[in-house]
Amino acid sequence: MWQQLRRRFGVPLAVAIISLLGIWLIAMVLLPQWQMIDYSFHPSLLPSERGGVKDVWSLTNYATFFHNDIHLAIFLKTIWSSVLVTGLTLIVSYPLAYYLAKVATPGQAALCLLLLIIPFWINEILRTFAWYIIFAFKGPLNELLLALGWIDRPIRFLNGDTGVLVGMVYAYILFMVFPLYNAIESLDTNQIRAARDLGAGWGRTHRRIVIPHAKPGIATGCIMTFMLAAGSYAVPALLGSPGSRWFTQIIYNWFFEGGDWNQGAAYAFLLLVLCIVFVTVIMRVFKVGLGDIAK
Amino acid sequence: MDGRVSLSQVAMRFGDFTAIQPTSLDIESGEFFSFLGPSGCGKTTLLNMISGFLTPSEGSVAIGGSDMTRVPVNRRPTAMIFQNLALFPLMSVYQNIEFGLEVRGIDRQKRRKSADELLELVALTGSGDKPVAELSGGQKQRIAIARALAVEPRVLLLDEPLSALDLKLRQHMRIELKAIQRKTGITFIYITHDQGEALTMSDRVAVMSEGRIQQVADPMTLYRQPQTDFVASFVGENNRFPGRVMAVEGELVTLDAGLPAPLYGRSTVPLEPGDPATLYIRPEQWRVGPAADRHLPLGGVILSEHFEGAWLTLEIALDRGPTIRAQVPHLTPGADVEVPLVVGGACRLDYSPREAVVLAGAVHEPTNEEGVDVAATA
Repeated sequence: MWQQLRRRFGVPLAVAIISLLGIWLIAMVLLPQWQMIDYSFHPSLLPSERGGVKDVWSLTNYATFFHNDIHLAIFLKTIWSSVLVTGLTLIVSYPLAYYLAKVATPGQAALCLLLLIIPFWINEILRTFAWYIIFAFKGPLNELLLALGWIDRPIRFLNGDTGVLVGMVYAYILFMVFPLYNAIESLDTNQIRAARDLGAGWGRTHRRIVIPHAKPGIATGCIMTFMLAAGSYAVPALLGSPGSRWFTQIIYNWFFEGGDWNQGAAYAFLLLVLCIVFVTVIMRVFKVGLGDIAK
Repeated sequence: MDGRVSLSQVAMRFGDFTAIQPTSLDIESGEFFSFLGPSGCGKTTLLNMISGFLTPSEGSVAIGGSDMTRVPVNRRPTAMIFQNLALFPLMSVYQNIEFGLEVRGIDRQKRRKSADELLELVALTGSGDKPVAELSGGQKQRIAIARALAVEPRVLLLDEPLSALDLKLRQHMRIELKAIQRKTGITFIYITHDQGEALTMSDRVAVMSEGRIQQVADPMTLYRQPQTDFVASFVGENNRFPGRVMAVEGELVTLDAGLPAPLYGRSTVPLEPGDPATLYIRPEQWRVGPAADRHLPLGGVILSEHFEGAWLTLEIALDRGPTIRAQVPHLTPGADVEVPLVVGGACRLDYSPREAVVLAGAVHEPTNEEGVDVAATA
């Protein structure tokens, strides 16, 4: 990289670029994260006690988590729900991405993308509130279902996880559609035609030709969606019920309600580890490397 | 196995644009049939209608006597070889060839057996486990053929599959394709803009222009008996002489093309004296002799000569006439080597009227960019 930069920009500019990159990486990413990890291994102390005899390395903060059944359950539920959100988003996004990449005319694709992007100009809280209104006990969705005669009494969508799942699929769909679209778009259409011509139905054509080609895109989309879902705060806070709390809400509470930053840091670090594990697993499952994802 | 293909009154329209004018055509079972035409003439559209990628706006497509017009592409007894081959890059050679059989639910052992037979047919025995990316251009070509033949199609459709190969390989693959076609007895429908390919391989050729079939004939007839001005100029080269009919005697037509001497040619269409007509002379039909040879009816001045191995191509400005192109053997055995054919010098010319075709209508304009129209450049 150094050679390349030097050849293109000359030594002074190359040094500047490398050092800026280094500063950004160290000062903005590594040091704060290190600080968090450091916090998580120290007990929560009054300012006067810091650096004193009680300020020692300990695993107490982590022990607290593993001894708290409710927090453990919420943690596992967050993983499961995030996997569910990721799966649902993939199911919704794949046909859309395929349509955009291979079926739609350029004009239709542009219109469709615009319709997808415009709602994202509205901020996430407002978009989530829109779902809150739609899902309300006396809201339009219940009215519609009642009017159609599909249900005889209104459903409390916001009681369980339904609201959170739908809200998240909606909130993160773009992060799935775009990598999928890019991946499918780069597939030579003649491959699809060849598979069809050799007798494959649509199901097999997707299974054997399109999906294998789109694997890096699927992996990228799944990783992004999972990370965003697992780390989401606004959607579960607004659309979730007390019974469907998200792990991020627990972390938030430690930091800002409980005022125990050390405990919060330990929880946040656990979430980070979980996400790294998930990324690794997905990359293994899809047999893709970091290089494929960066494409 | 019945591999007849019948198009009856098929037409294709995209909005206001008519890609294919209503066309009827019968292709025999086991025939090597080519569609030849410049890009945009509609030949690929026609192929897509036979394969099922397109449904014709009008008319019907039948294969082996059964109507296929509404049958989806994956249920037609055809297989296609794509211009870019479209091999599946994530699969091995075996997986590529066996794909169509796997789709048909044929068990693993039988699949492998047919794949091995096909690899033998295309002379690539033993490369089944290779990834497709490791093959050379010519090998990929053969695997594409094997993959298409694996599904035992009645009709094999080939969409300019040789255009990506270099000249030597292309010529070699022509012979090989023809051999495979003979061996398998499958109807081959070949799309190309390269007349060399069409003429060397095909039993019959349909020349297309602007969504219309201009002429369907065997290669020899196409070359010697073009029926339209487009065919005359697109297939091979031709020198064009528009003029007026002076006399007709059976097939022999005398034409006044404004030259010092009348031109003679052969016509299969009825013409009357006074009719506008065009006479075509192939470059290789000219006999070029010394200026002193008064037996030769036409005179001219040699503008340039190009050495092309077997041929010498001359550009000659006819006296009071257009510039023509003539191809003469550069070393005729036993010929008078003293014949002074020098650039800038005068010469006399003759040709065989039997090989000169006369078509109705006086055409002055060049009909297309690919057919070399020497007469119009004068």
